[in-house]
Amino acid sequence: MLTLRDIRKSYRIGPTEVEVLKGVSLEIKQGELVSIMGQSGCGKSTLMNIIGLLDRPTSGSFMLDGAEVSYTNDDALSEIRNQRIGFVFQQYFLLSRLTALENVALPLVYRGDKSTNSHERCMELLKRVGMDDRAHHRPAELSGGQQQRVAIARALVGNPSLILADEPTGALDTQVGGEIMELFKTLNAEEGITVVIITHDPGIARQCKRVAVMKDGVIVP
Amino acid sequence: MVSVGRIVQEESLRQFKEMGTDILTIEKEFGGGGPPGSGAAKSALRLDTVLAIPSRCPGIAAVAPSVRGNGDISFNGKKLERSSPMGVTASFLDINKLTMEEGRFLSDLDEQSRYCVIGSQVAAELQKQGAARLLGSKIRLGDNLFTVIGVTNEVPQGGMRRFEPNEMIYLHITTGLRVFANAEIQSITARVSNGTTNNAARDQVMAYVASLGKGQAVRITSPEEIIAQMEKQMQMFTLLLGAIGSISLIVGGVGVMNVMLVSVTERRREIGIRRALGAKRGDIRGQFLIESVILSLIGGLLGIIFGIGASWLIAHFAKWQFALSFSAILLGVGVSNAVGIFFGYYPARQASLLDPIVALKSD
Ligand SMILES: Nc1ncnc2c1ncn2[C@@H]1O[C@H](COP(=O)(O)OP(=O)(O)OP(=O)(O)O)[C@@H](O)[C@H]1O
Ligand SMILES: [Mg+2]
Repeated sequence: MLTLRDIRKSYRIGPTEVEVLKGVSLEIKQGELVSIMGQSGCGKSTLMNIIGLLDRPTSGSFMLDGAEVSYTNDDALSEIRNQRIGFVFQQYFLLSRLTALENVALPLVYRGDKSTNSHERCMELLKRVGMDDRAHHRPAELSGGQQQRVAIARALVGNPSLILADEPTGALDTQVGGEIMELFKTLNAEEGITVVIITHDPGIARQCKRVAVMKDGVIVP
Repeated sequence: MVSVGRIVQEESLRQFKEMGTDILTIEKEFGGGGPPGSGAAKSALRLDTVLAIPSRCPGIAAVAPSVRGNGDISFNGKKLERSSPMGVTASFLDINKLTMEEGRFLSDLDEQSRYCVIGSQVAAELQKQGAARLLGSKIRLGDNLFTVIGVTNEVPQGGMRRFEPNEMIYLHITTGLRVFANAEIQSITARVSNGTTNNAARDQVMAYVASLGKGQAVRITSPEEIIAQMEKQMQMFTLLLGAIGSISLIVGGVGVMNVMLVSVTERRREIGIRRALGAKRGDIRGQFLIESVILSLIGGLLGIIFGIGASWLIAHFAKWQFALSFSAILLGVGVSNAVGIFFGYYPARQASLLDPIVALKSD
């Protein structure tokens, strides 16, 4: 599903150039459940942002579903994010002014087609993550775990083939984190969605079929 | 601003229509600006030549010559302020679109009489001074006493007339010419016949006056000229108001831009989230443009409400008729829209150019 070859990313801070990713090569197949581990600052989030098409590598090749996306234009990248990728962030990143339901519906707003039953679809997904009774609450009225559930529903609403989760349980206690992890596992098992999870929790990583370890800007074999 | 300009315009048009567009004003030309007394002696228009105008000029239906006088006016020994005497003919009432409230107007049979007709303001003054009945009251004008035989209806302030109808004491013109010091006919109001253009009528009068010889000359003003002159003034006025308005628009627009720039910086995280979920640059730009337009429209609506209120107040105190200008309101809405788009474009563009990852990482 995605193939990274010799991905490099460097930041220029003043006169010095810092290379964060030093040639990452990684292949993830359709339907995999992968976790990425590694020390803080080793470049996991940087890699994830590149995979999620939020950031561009300095060099290297990135094939998504068999197509090179390194030179794809901005609008087309937005479209790919909208149609094929679901994001789950450590800080949930829900829009505070919108209700849970409206947050879930947000990706559909940016779809060209105004499908008629989007409301039902959103409710269905909220039900799936066990949040249908809180559909009209705003994020501030929800606990962290509940917010993350809403965020997962939002990631799912566009029927993505890939879910990228950057420390999705990082702000949650072990029990709630475990529940969130169960959700990912079900999605992966039942719907064949490819899931990539960055985590510091070995307990989480252990539940994944595959663990990639990063160290100092490269994937350790 | 535009609203006030509009009211002024409507007002002058209203005053104008009240008098009718078929009225010419004929005034004696004083020539090279010499002292009126000296020049007047030679070329004063004689009453009989003036009254002959309708018969000599087919384009003129009627004339109303008038002669202004001055001097103290008193009633019961008390001086009457804000009143002035004028000698007129019977046709004066109709041509000047005046109507009687009480009694009758001067007629041709009142030549050399000691009768007078008073305006509503003078009537009110008399009553204040204790006149039990207006008709029959005696007003002293210099050495002569005049008996009131009629009162004209009140006329709204302003207007195209060259005198203040409510403050007038009308005498018959023959009386006026005799009792006023330095009396001469200065101004003639003439009504143009049906089917004759103002210009044709004016040429006839010019020709007639010239045929009198003796250096007689008059200046004739038609309503078109007055309206043209007024429109020019109006344009200046509106232009001035427009200039003030434009400056406030720019100031307001910069305010809108500032608010939007702050809003964009404060909501970088939101922009990042929306971008991650698939918003294109254009979506973000559109969102902020719409917000900026809404902001400007709210400002515009407040401005329109305030503007209507202010122009109502101005009209109220200036005793103008209040006119709501729908085009001005439309203009206001349109301009607010334009301001929103124009001054909102830069912030919206800034928002759309934010890198998704930079926006997402900021807080
Ligand atoms: N925009 C940036 N400019 C400069 N340096 C950056 C930028 N973003 C990240 N870095 C650097 O890149 C390195 C990797 O950051 P990254 O966020 O990918 O780490 P991480 O592995 O996700 O760490 P953590 O586990 O703490 O989230 C860090 O040293 C960081 O300072
Ligand atoms: Mg990270």
